[in-house]
Amino acid sequence: MSSPVRIRDAVTERLPQRHRAEQRFQAYGLAAITLAVLFLAVLVGSIFTQSLSAFTAHRLTLPVTLERELVDPRADGSEASLRRGSYNIALQAALQAQFPTVVGLGERRELFGLYSAINASRLLNDVVENPDLVGQTIEFEFPISDDADRYLKGASVSERVTEMNAPLSFSFGDGVARLEAAEPVFAPVSDRLRQAMAESANRDEVAAAAARAAASQTIDADERQILEAEAQRAEARSLRLRERARPGAALQLGPREPSLLVRAGDTVVRLSSIEPGGRAATGEVLLYTEATAQTVASWALWEIETPAATRLVTDRQMVFVRLLEERGLVRNAFNTLLFTNADSREPELAGVRGAFVGTVLTMIITIILAIPVGVGAAIYLEEFAPKNRITSFIEVNINNLAAVPSIVFGLLGLAVFINAFGLPRSTPLLGGMVLALMTLPTVIISSRAALKAVPPSIREAALGVGASRTQAVFHHVLPLAMPGMLTGSIIGLAQALGETAPLLMIGMVAFVADAPSFGFTGFTDPSTVMPVQIFIWSTSAERAFEARTAAAILVLLVLMVLFNAVAIYLRRKYERRW
Amino acid sequence: MQISVYVALALLVLTAIGYLVGRRRAIVAAADQPSALHSLPSYYGYYLALWTGVPALILLAIYGVAGTSLVNTLAMGELEREAAPLIRAYEAQVAQDPDLIGLSEAVAQLEAEAQSASNELDMARRDGGEVAVYQRSLGDLTVELNRLQGEMAQVQDRIARSIAVRAPDNLAGDRARAGFEYWRASPDRRALFLSDARALAFDEGFASRSTAALVAAGDAMRPWDEMFRWSSAGLAMALALGGLTWMSRRITVSFRARDRVEGAVSFVLFCASAIAILTTLGIVLSLLFESIRFFAAIDWRIHEFLFGLQWSPQIAIRADQIGQTGAFGAVPLFAGTALITLLAMCVAVPVGLFAAIYLSEYASPRFRAIAKPVLEILAGVPTVVYGFFALLTVGPFIREAAIFLGYEDAVTQSALSAGLVMGIMIIPFVSSLSDDVINAVPQSLRDGAYAMGATKSEAVRHVVLPAALPGIVGAILLAVSRAIGETMIVVMAAGQGANLTANPLESVTTITVQIVMLITGDQEFESAKTLSAFALALVLFGLTLFLNIAALRVVDRFRERYE
Repeated sequence: MSSPVRIRDAVTERLPQRHRAEQRFQAYGLAAITLAVLFLAVLVGSIFTQSLSAFTAHRLTLPVTLERELVDPRADGSEASLRRGSYNIALQAALQAQFPTVVGLGERRELFGLYSAINASRLLNDVVENPDLVGQTIEFEFPISDDADRYLKGASVSERVTEMNAPLSFSFGDGVARLEAAEPVFAPVSDRLRQAMAESANRDEVAAAAARAAASQTIDADERQILEAEAQRAEARSLRLRERARPGAALQLGPREPSLLVRAGDTVVRLSSIEPGGRAATGEVLLYTEATAQTVASWALWEIETPAATRLVTDRQMVFVRLLEERGLVRNAFNTLLFTNADSREPELAGVRGAFVGTVLTMIITIILAIPVGVGAAIYLEEFAPKNRITSFIEVNINNLAAVPSIVFGLLGLAVFINAFGLPRSTPLLGGMVLALMTLPTVIISSRAALKAVPPSIREAALGVGASRTQAVFHHVLPLAMPGMLTGSIIGLAQALGETAPLLMIGMVAFVADAPSFGFTGFTDPSTVMPVQIFIWSTSAERAFEARTAAAILVLLVLMVLFNAVAIYLRRKYERRW
Repeated sequence: MQISVYVALALLVLTAIGYLVGRRRAIVAAADQPSALHSLPSYYGYYLALWTGVPALILLAIYGVAGTSLVNTLAMGELEREAAPLIRAYEAQVAQDPDLIGLSEAVAQLEAEAQSASNELDMARRDGGEVAVYQRSLGDLTVELNRLQGEMAQVQDRIARSIAVRAPDNLAGDRARAGFEYWRASPDRRALFLSDARALAFDEGFASRSTAALVAAGDAMRPWDEMFRWSSAGLAMALALGGLTWMSRRITVSFRARDRVEGAVSFVLFCASAIAILTTLGIVLSLLFESIRFFAAIDWRIHEFLFGLQWSPQIAIRADQIGQTGAFGAVPLFAGTALITLLAMCVAVPVGLFAAIYLSEYASPRFRAIAKPVLEILAGVPTVVYGFFALLTVGPFIREAAIFLGYEDAVTQSALSAGLVMGIMIIPFVSSLSDDVINAVPQSLRDGAYAMGATKSEAVRHVVLPAALPGIVGAILLAVSRAIGETMIVVMAAGQGANLTANPLESVTTITVQIVMLITGDQEFESAKTLSAFALALVLFGLTLFLNIAALRVVDRFRERYE
């Protein structure tokens, strides 16, 4: 037996340890909350930063001449004739006018790759709306292609321009040019490239050695063959690179190396070979302007470090875009198309309007169906239902429905609404019905809670002065429970607003290029909704859709915040404590 | 359309009149002694309005739902009867055509061969022998069979065309040809034919094509359509007027109008709550029905579906392909779902539980008022947003990190990124449910622990948590059920390869991902591939239902203990 003093000593001795444990425990809790908040911050922050580049877009503004024989083939000015016009040719002519020396088929294709031909239909609509434009020259603004846009935003290509002040003489041949200078102007850059090639060759050699070592260890004959072939390829690659990087020889440049452009005025030459010593080079003429003198005193060396093989804009397109920018024809502006256009295969033309209208129409159906039915069910279960087996079965059902995965509701819609009832698929009507079934349990449960919160004294007083049960509920309890019901319903609807999976099941994932009409017929037009649009864009291959997806997410989040803000406002304003 | 709108408007007006008439009559009936009325006058009005409007509106609704298909059936029946000579001629020619007879013999022979090959395959599979060679020969047979069936269809089309072309000479014109075309069409084509004909006849939407037969079919529909429109309109008006006059006679001073109206109201409310039952019934029946069709399509090898190790439904491309049924083994999907759920729980349970303990035991009211809604925001973010986050931020980060640590085969779409992000999504579920449970533990228990000299954390660990354990287990079960049913995160971030692996850095697939892949793919609904989605959904539904019921049981028991 230990004496009380010894116990107290033991307790005192352990006390600091126990206090430390206390503090650790508290720190764990705080850390958990911090971690959760941090996750939220990273989530919102990453989406916000990813979305930024989608809110601006580069646009071309060109003087487009709408010649009558081009846009009005029957020359009668009728709408039918105007709709048969060749508007893309007018656009091409306008772009060509900026670069009159670009005549080759391939060059022209690169030039016209700067915009998508769908823009011609916007020009068509302008002309059909206002036929007086025929024969005039108008300033037409249209978005530049997403690849060029990403280049101008500096997102896809790294480049460096060095101004040079050494005389350089040009001699032009058939599409090629020879550049000569008195000083070794190309020496620094060619040395740098040689060094990079040598490093690459070293890496290949290391890889080859590793493959050979692995091959000697494996016992599987097939695998050994594969590894040896790999080693041989790497060795051959390294040999080729070393040969090309030899200091005494001319340095040849291909699509796997950085592009070296020499620009003097509006003439641009892409170097394909630099002679030893770095005083002379030959290259392909990307853009030729007669105004450029044979010998220039100052010029620019334009290094495009991202190799041509790994980017989606060509060297020549980059030249076009930069020149157009210098002429003030390309400007970066707020991307209104993101909000005014429906979906498109071309990222620069894709917008969220179609999905937004689809969301509004779908939510209208959901509200019309879910709220009356949900509130009615809640009133019945809370106020009228006799306590029997049917009632408790209904209650169990509702609780279970609240936990059924949303995708199952989509399958219900597919099997019952589409296959059995024959409702049109992909429509807001169907989507709204499926989402209404999904939100119903939430609405019922929250409405019941609101009814339960009304104190029994209200009912008893109403019954006491002679009201019937129905009168007591509808005249006295319901008005008091209404704000709570509304709040719960709005939270349920916010959940429906962000739901994606059940809508995939009923075909709302289809590509819809037109926004559904904002009227009665819109309910049966094929359409999509915001979350599904986000899903569609996030699975697209084009990099430019990434930013647009993030922007669409921001729009959706703003919508959800609005919904919840309304719910909180209602709760604050009408909430009563008993 | 127009007629129905006018009728509906007229009915609304009549209903309003019914209300006024009922009220008026009640007041008149009790002219000298208003207090003698059983109910307030407006209840008599409601009563009469109900009898005026409801039966007629129900009739109109029935017409709206069934009218179109009724008109279609009647009109096309008429046309098919007229096409009887064409059909007879066609059948006679099909029976005699030498090409067709030869082809159908060849098809029958091939089918027999395919059947025996399929039997051999089954046998080989049972004995554990070499199945590849049988599978290959079965595949070849199937290709050949499809080719022959295509040829047969071509010959039949040729005969049908020749008969239709000759028709004007000896038989009726476009109407009969329309009936003949409709008679030969497959169900899909029939639906298209009908919608095109309707589009031409009634300007409903756009017709995909316009032929004489379609116009004739549309013309045949029009009289039926008009007849039904007018008769339903007339009947509805008659019902409304009848209800109005008939029932207005019943209004007397002692008539219990309020009881009747309130009965109707509570019936409507009951119907609203019965929709919950209907929804459950609809889910269970549709899943069961389609799953049974799926199991029938794979010859009732349910054990293979539940315990098979290979999942590759892509092989079964078409509904009429034979023998391609061995690839529906769902174990990789169950394993993938379990792996991702486990990863999610590894994130959500510690974070959520510690957050709940801190919020309920330590946090000041002010901190709680801010931190709780912030946590709830995590639950409100749409899952597609989490999917995007997992795909573009977390996935690449995990891949880079794994490669940096020396695991070269890391992929962007991994079980880890999906599980991690799903865990973040689940945190608020665990924390708010556990928070409620911890708050429900009586203060007296804590006070008792403090009285024994326990520190706060000791009270929590040794007294509060054990007391709240059943509730916390219930909360975790609910969170698990939520994670299993979650779709968008895994669709976007977990990949689609049905790998059977426990490595969280590989891509796995889940039940929900496969349901999405199977339903959104391009194939007809009837194929085993699409139907298998319903079988998967049935498993999912059963699993979540079981977890949910178990969780509710546990939580209820916990509540009973302290209330």
